[in-house]
Amino acid sequence: MKTDSKTIDELLENWDPDPDSLRVRVNGLQHYYGTGDARKQVLFNNTLNISPGEIVIMTGPSGSGKTTLLTLIGTLRSVQEGSLKIMDTELLGLSAKSIVELRKNIGFIFQAHNLFESLSAYQNVRMACELIHRKESEAKPKIEQVLTRLGLGERIHYKPKSLSGGQKQRVAIARGVINKPKLILADEPTAALDAESGREVVTMFQELASQTGCTILIVTHDNRILDVADRIVNMVDGHISSNVMVQRSATICSIIREFPAFSELTASNLTAVADSMELRRFETGQPIIQQGDVGTEFFVIAKGFVDIVIDGKRVNSLQSGDYFGEVALIKDQPRNATVLAKEPTSCFVLDKDEFRSIIDSSATFEDEVRQAIFDRQ
Amino acid sequence: MKTPIAWRNLTHNKRKLLIAVSGVAFAVVLMFQQTGFENALFDSTVEIVKQTDCDVIIFNRARFALSSELRFKRDYINMAAGIKGVKSASPLFIDNTIALFHATNTQTAVKPKPRPIRVLGFDLNHTVWASDEINSQIQKLRTPDSALIDRLSKPEFGFQFDDQSLIGPSTGELLDSDVELVGTFKMGRDFAHEGNLVMSDRNFANYFRYRGIDPLSIVDLGLIKGQGIAAEELRNRIRAALPSAVTVVTKSEFIDREVAFWSASTPIGIIFKIGTAMGFAVGIIICYQILATDIADHLSELATLKAMGYSDNYFRSLVISESLILSILGFIPGLIFSLLIFQFSADMTGLIMLMTIPRAALILGLTVIMCLISGFIAMRKLIAADPASLF
Repeated sequence: MKTDSKTIDELLENWDPDPDSLRVRVNGLQHYYGTGDARKQVLFNNTLNISPGEIVIMTGPSGSGKTTLLTLIGTLRSVQEGSLKIMDTELLGLSAKSIVELRKNIGFIFQAHNLFESLSAYQNVRMACELIHRKESEAKPKIEQVLTRLGLGERIHYKPKSLSGGQKQRVAIARGVINKPKLILADEPTAALDAESGREVVTMFQELASQTGCTILIVTHDNRILDVADRIVNMVDGHISSNVMVQRSATICSIIREFPAFSELTASNLTAVADSMELRRFETGQPIIQQGDVGTEFFVIAKGFVDIVIDGKRVNSLQSGDYFGEVALIKDQPRNATVLAKEPTSCFVLDKDEFRSIIDSSATFEDEVRQAIFDRQ
Repeated sequence: MKTPIAWRNLTHNKRKLLIAVSGVAFAVVLMFQQTGFENALFDSTVEIVKQTDCDVIIFNRARFALSSELRFKRDYINMAAGIKGVKSASPLFIDNTIALFHATNTQTAVKPKPRPIRVLGFDLNHTVWASDEINSQIQKLRTPDSALIDRLSKPEFGFQFDDQSLIGPSTGELLDSDVELVGTFKMGRDFAHEGNLVMSDRNFANYFRYRGIDPLSIVDLGLIKGQGIAAEELRNRIRAALPSAVTVVTKSEFIDREVAFWSASTPIGIIFKIGTAMGFAVGIIICYQILATDIADHLSELATLKAMGYSDNYFRSLVISESLILSILGFIPGLIFSLLIFQFSADMTGLIMLMTIPRAALILGLTVIMCLISGFIAMRKLIAADPASLF
């Protein structure tokens, strides 16, 4: 896979989102169930940041705390310890009145459809509209449009009793999204749906995310919808065990796999390497490494050009997709050259220990490196 | 726009609604039953006074209740008659004895037995009764040994007193003397009396010789009618003129005093109030069950509303609406059923079972309060809990 420069531009641009614009900021969040001797910790010091427009899929075995985290973010549980901010409002110790107001900006889609049996599909969705005091005449076309979009056009005025499980779930989804909330939280939204309607639902999620900047957090085991995720968060035993920005990892992987030692790695190991790489930016003329220094890092150029200078003399220049800094790490020697940014340059940086552990596991690597170094001269 | 969730939820399942409404109606009937019998006691006891045509009543100061046989000298009535503003002052003689009636031209299956009866004697020349029925039969009462019988007297006396064809030829025994039933009137039994006879003071004197050498010289009640004067003013005048051996009150004061005696000085009032309270408590339990079940059945849906941002006040008004709907829906059949029971009880007991608007309103109020209390208990969990714990 060759990554085009536009994807890289986007990636670099959004690398460090402004913390003030984050939709969800979880910091050092702990949670306990029960009291006294029965008190049991279910969330351990979790940290998670989610930007507007981001679609996050949260997976993990049952009992790992995904739903607890989801309901905490959704203000459906009281925050006990740590910080949890949604839409710049700290939930810890927030007054009941403010919580009620905040909930109006959140769309919740539950595993169970939770529809009123006594109300039609239309009326169930309208219950959400009534909250923001919309006039019936304004709400009606919107409700009909959403229900039609979800394939329920013929059944708008049916009671839940006359709808299939999947249809009921779609009504619940319509109810969750009708007010165009800033944050949509969904617990297994597609579990009851067939492939086609599940796809329709996630497509709608994507549209909402891109059109309204709505943040969507989905707890799911449904691997059919993983492709819509901007980020996949994995939880195990109350900890976030991995938090991967899918697009970012894929882009980094496509760049770093050019390096011989990395091309042998399995996809998951490569992703792990990609995730442990740090982005560093350099101004024009700024030295990236200095000849004679101790080598501690390995660089892959994401964007830009660099000059390689040995003893004050420019010997080569490298561009995006190229790498440098490996020789000192392999041979445990000081840097044999200086590298200067020729224009504003961004590099992915891997530290020495990570780098060495990958090298050591790669049998053919040393030969290749020697060849590569030879070719360069 | 507002979706009437309370109404929808309650009426969605018709079978559940029927059970819920029956439950509330049951509590309504229980309360009506208790207040009904309590009122029947009071109404029946004072019915004799209500049927008199008078403004002020004189009686022995020691007479704590109508049924206590404490009398006063007739002289006081004569004294009252001379007071300015008094149109008439009439004695009413009341006594209890045993009567036995024979229906001569009927093959009644019930063998008549002697039973206690209340006898009311009055001066035929005075209009003592408000009842046109009695007043139109005054002439018949001039015959010696004649009397009118209360149609609501116990059927156990021997026959149906509302069957006019049986009245004429019927005779009976009163204090070992013959008595002839010449007609009927309507008054009603109470807890102490199984039936009533009305007769002239002369006939009364003949039967009740044991009351003294001149049985008509001592009186049970003195009934005073005024002319062009308010009852209270008349009462004050008479009270000032008569010695303190007698009590002088207006007719409505007399009724209140009698009701107050039964209600406060006897256990009866308390017993019925406890009964009403029990009905109320049973109602709360039933309503709580209904509303708590309804909330529990819809807990996930309500929690979803809570998650959407519906406020606690919304849920309060929701439960209040459900309580009000339930109380009204339960009250209507409860009232109808109670009216039937009142009718049936009145027929069976001869008691006066009155359903007045204030009494129905009282029970409606109690029903609404009952449902509201239940509703508030039932919704505590919904209000207090985090939505996440409700799914």
